Amino acid sequence: MEEQNTDLIQGTLDMLILKSLDLEPMHGFGIARRIEQVSRGVFKVNPGSLLTAFQRLERMGWLDSEWRQTENARKAKFYRLTPAGRKQMGIETANWNRRATAIARLLKAEA
Amino acid sequence: MSLWRQLSHGLRRLIDRNAADQELDDEIDHYLEETAATFVARGLSPEEARRAARLELGAPASVREEVRDYGWENRIDNLWADLRYAGRTLTGNPGFTAVSILTLALGIGAFTAIFSVVDAVLLRSLPYPEPQQIVRIWEQAPNGHRINLADGNFDDFLTQNHTFASLAAYNERPASVSGGSEPARVKWSEVSHGFFSTFGVKPLRGRIFSPEESRTQGIPAVIVSFPFWQRYFGGADDLSPLHLKIEGKDYAVVGVMPESFDYPAGNALWTPAGLQSQSKNRTGHNWRGIGRIQAGVTLAQARQDLSAIARRIRAEYGKKVDLQDAAVLPLDKALVGDVQTALLTLLGAVGLLLLVACANVAGLLVARGAARRKELALRVALGAGRGRLLQQFLVESLALSLAGGTLGVLLAAWAVRLLPAILPANLPRQQGIVMNTGVLLFALAATFAVGAALGALAAWRAGRGDVQQALASGSRAYTGTGASQRLRGVVVTGEIAATLVILIAAGLLGRSFLRLVSTSPGFQARNLVTMQFSVPVETEQNGALGPDAVARQARLLERVSARLQALPGVEAVGVSGAMPVAEGDNLAEGDFLILNGRKPPADFEEFQRMGQNSGQTGHALYAVAGEEYFRTMGIPLVRGRMFAAQDQAEAQHVAVISEALARQRWPEQDPLGQELEFGNMDGNLKPLTVVGVVGDVRARGLDAPPGPVVYVNYRQRGMNLNSTPTLLLRTAAPVKKVVQQARAIVQEMAPDVPLKFSTFEEQMSGWLADRRFLLLLVGLFAAAALSLAAIGIYGVVAFSVARRTQEIGIRVAMGARREDILRLVVGEGARLAALGAAIGIGASLLITRLLTTLLFGISSTDPVTFAGVALLLGLVAVLASYLPARRAMRLDPNTALRYE
Repeated sequence: MEEQNTDLIQGTLDMLILKSLDLEPMHGFGIARRIEQVSRGVFKVNPGSLLTAFQRLERMGWLDSEWRQTENARKAKFYRLTPAGRKQMGIETANWNRRATAIARLLKAEA
Repeated sequence: MSLWRQLSHGLRRLIDRNAADQELDDEIDHYLEETAATFVARGLSPEEARRAARLELGAPASVREEVRDYGWENRIDNLWADLRYAGRTLTGNPGFTAVSILTLALGIGAFTAIFSVVDAVLLRSLPYPEPQQIVRIWEQAPNGHRINLADGNFDDFLTQNHTFASLAAYNERPASVSGGSEPARVKWSEVSHGFFSTFGVKPLRGRIFSPEESRTQGIPAVIVSFPFWQRYFGGADDLSPLHLKIEGKDYAVVGVMPESFDYPAGNALWTPAGLQSQSKNRTGHNWRGIGRIQAGVTLAQARQDLSAIARRIRAEYGKKVDLQDAAVLPLDKALVGDVQTALLTLLGAVGLLLLVACANVAGLLVARGAARRKELALRVALGAGRGRLLQQFLVESLALSLAGGTLGVLLAAWAVRLLPAILPANLPRQQGIVMNTGVLLFALAATFAVGAALGALAAWRAGRGDVQQALASGSRAYTGTGASQRLRGVVVTGEIAATLVILIAAGLLGRSFLRLVSTSPGFQARNLVTMQFSVPVETEQNGALGPDAVARQARLLERVSARLQALPGVEAVGVSGAMPVAEGDNLAEGDFLILNGRKPPADFEEFQRMGQNSGQTGHALYAVAGEEYFRTMGIPLVRGRMFAAQDQAEAQHVAVISEALARQRWPEQDPLGQELEFGNMDGNLKPLTVVGVVGDVRARGLDAPPGPVVYVNYRQRGMNLNSTPTLLLRTAAPVKKVVQQARAIVQEMAPDVPLKFSTFEEQMSGWLADRRFLLLLVGLFAAAALSLAAIGIYGVVAFSVARRTQEIGIRVAMGARREDILRLVVGEGARLAALGAAIGIGASLLITRLLTTLLFGISSTDPVTFAGVALLLGLVAVLASYLPARRAMRLDPNTALRYE
C-alpha cells in the first residue's frame, strides 16, 4: 500500500501556526488538530517540531503564551497572536500566495 | 523587541533550567492527554488510548530533547557541560594534566619572553613622530663600505638635497665632566644644527640651542639627558644656575631632554658641533649623519638624491675623496644592525621549542584518545554528533592550553624582569622590553592556536575509528590501536627533528664560543686591573696638544703610576690611551705617510697631497702608550727597542709597530728606521721613527685578526680627545683591595678626575656578553627540547611495550632471550631517533647557514658538531627506551599471557 506523505511543506509551519491562532488563542494540541482537520488530513504535525516552533515564534515576538484552564478543566499552555505576529502572518500569507500562484501557473504551462 | 525576548527567554531557561523543563514536560503531558482523549472518544479504553497516543507521538523524552535543543542558551549549556566534563577528566588524570600544562607553560612562556624582546627591539617603532621618515646616512666608499661623513661632503648633502626636511651631523665620544654632584665619565655628542628637529623632539625642560650657541665658536651651551639630570642635578627645576665643565671647558646647561629620547644610545650630553662650514676637508670622516625625509618622499628617492650629490662630489674632486656613493638606511634598521640575526635565531630556537612542547602534549593526547576510544564510541552510539565531539575535544585542549598559557605568561613576566641582568649591554632599545598588551595578545593568540591545533588533532584521531569495532574490541582498546601508535611515532619523529635543529644551533654557537675564548689575545689578560683615569685634555687647534700640555699630562700620569707601583702586590703599571679587545672600537685608525727620505709635510694640505701616492702610505690603528705598557700586558718585543729614557719630548719622536704591520707594509725590508707621518691622528706633524717591532694583539676583538698597530710614546705625543687614558695594574693581590687603595691615592692626587675601575677579564666578558647571552638561551632551549624529546620517546616506547605485553609474553614463552626483548624495545626508540635525526640533520643543513655571521672559526655545517649532537640524541633515545625495555625484560610470561 502506498503511504501518503503527510509532511508539512518546508517553511510553512510558522505560517500555519500563525493562521490557526488568527481566530482565537489555542494550546498546542488544538493547533495540531486544527491543521490536521482543516487540511483534511493532508498535513500531520510532528509535536517536536510544533513545540520547537512555539519557542521560536515566541522569541520572535509573534506569540505570547499563558497557562489556562481548558473547557474540559485541564491546565494547558495557550498561545495568542501578538500585533507583530498578526503583521507577520499577513506578510507570510501574501508571500505564500504569490509563490503558490506562480507554481500553479508553471504547472499549468507544462501541461 | 525580539532580541530582548531572545535574551530574556534564554536567560530564564539558563537560570532555572528545571522550571523550564517542568513547563515543557507539562506541555508535552497535556498534548499526550489530549491525544489520548481523542482515542478514548473513538472508543478505546483509557489504557489502550494512552498507548496509541504514545505510539503516535513518539517517546516524550525525544520530543523534549528536540525542543530543548533550540536556542542559544542551549549551546552555552552544552559548553558548560563540556567544561565540567573536561574539568573532571583532567583532574581525574592529574599526572597527564600536570605534565601537559607544565610542558605548554614552558613552551608558551619561553616564546612569550623572547617575543617581548623581539617586539621591543625589532618590531616596535621608535618613540619619535613619524619614525619611518628618520634615516641614517653615510658616504659609501668604492669598496661598498659605509663611512662617516666628512665636513665638506656633509655640507654639500645639506645644501644641495631636495628630499630631506632636515639633515644633521653628530659625533659621539666619552668625556670627563664635572660640575654636577660628582665628576663623571659619560657619553658626549656634538650635534649640528637641526639634530633635535630631525627627531621632532623638544626638550622636557629649557630649550634647544639658540643661533648664537649653534654657530662656530658660539656661546658654549649643553643639553643633558634625563638620567644625567636626575643623577647629577637631582632633577633641579631651575636650569639657569647650572654649569658643567666638559673636558675642562665651561658650558651653560640650557635644556633637559625627555626620558624617552635616547640618541645616540646612552648619551648624556649634547653640545652644538663647532662644524666648520668653510672646511674643505673631504676625507676626515668625523661625522655621523642623520636626517628626516620629507613627507611623501620614499627612501629610494632620498637615496637617489644623495647619490647624485655624491657622484657630483666624486666628479669634481676625483681621487681626493673616498666616497663614490651615499648610503641611506631607516634609523630603526641601522640601530638594530647585526643584532637582528641573533634575535631571529633566538626566536627560531624558541619557536622550535614550542613546537616540541606541543608535539609532546599532542603525543599524550593521542595516547589518551586511544585509551578513551570506547567512551567516545559509546557517546557516538548514543547520538552525539561529530560537532559535539569536536567541541568537547576543543574545550578540553583549550582548557589545557589556557592553563599552560596562563602559567607561561607568568613565567614570561618573571623572565622579563630577570632579563636586564643577562641581556648584553650593547643590545639596542632594551629599556623597552616589557610585557605590554601586544605581547600579551600574542601570547593569547599562541595559546589559542596551540589549543585549537591539539584539539583538532585529537578529535580527528578519535573521529576516524569505527564505532562498532571500538565497542567490540574489548579491553584491548585500552592500549590504543596500531594507527594511533603510528601517529605518535610520527609526532615524536618530528619532535626529535626539531630538537636536533636546536641542539645543532646550540652546538655551533657553543663551539664558536669555546674557540673564541681560547683564542690568545696576544697578551696576558689575567690579573690585570684597569683604571680609566680621564685626565683633562687641553687641546689647541686641530685637537693637538701643545708641548707644555703633553709634559703636564705625562708628569701627572708618571706620578700616579709611581704611587700605584708602590702598592703592595702590584708588579707593574702601564699607561695606554685605550684598551685593546674590550674597547677595541675606541681605537683610532687611519692612513699614515711613509716619508722614505722626503721632507715631512708643513701643513695638512700638504699631508693630503703627499697621501695621494698609495705606494707611500700605510693604514694602521693608532695607540698611545708607555714602555711599561708592553711589560705590564706581556706583549713581547720582537725586534729593535722599546720606548726608553732618551725619548724625550724634544728628541726624535719614535714609534713601535706591531708584527702584522711590519709583515704587511715591509715584507722584504727592515721596518726599523723607517720614518712615518701620522700627524692626522693627534694634530702634531712631527714625524715618527720606527725603533721597534712588538708582538701582535687582537686589538679589535678576539674574533678579528690581529690588526696593524702604530704605538707612539705618551711622553712625546700626549693623549688627546681620541684617547681614554688608562692605567693597567698587573697584580695577583685581591682586586677589591687594590682598587680601594688605588682610588684613595688617585683621588688625593687629582680629585677632579673621574675614575673607573675594572678588571681586564671583566672587560673581556663584557665584550663577550652578547655571544654568551645567545649561547646561554639557545643552550637552555636545547636542553629543554632534549628533555621533552626524551619524555616523548619514553612515552611512545612505554606505550608500545604495554600494548605488546601479550606478544612479548609469547616471545619469552617461545624462548626469546632477554637480549632479544631488549633489542626489540630499544630498537623501536632507536628507529624513531634515527629517522628524526636524519630529518633534523637535513633541516639543519638548510637552516644553520643563517647563523654564519654568529659563528667563529667553524663552518655552519661543522661535521664535529653535527656528529656530536646526533650521537647525544641517539644516547638519550636509547636511555629513554631502556626504561620500558627493562620492564619488558622482567615480564613473567605467565602474567603477560593473561594480560588484558
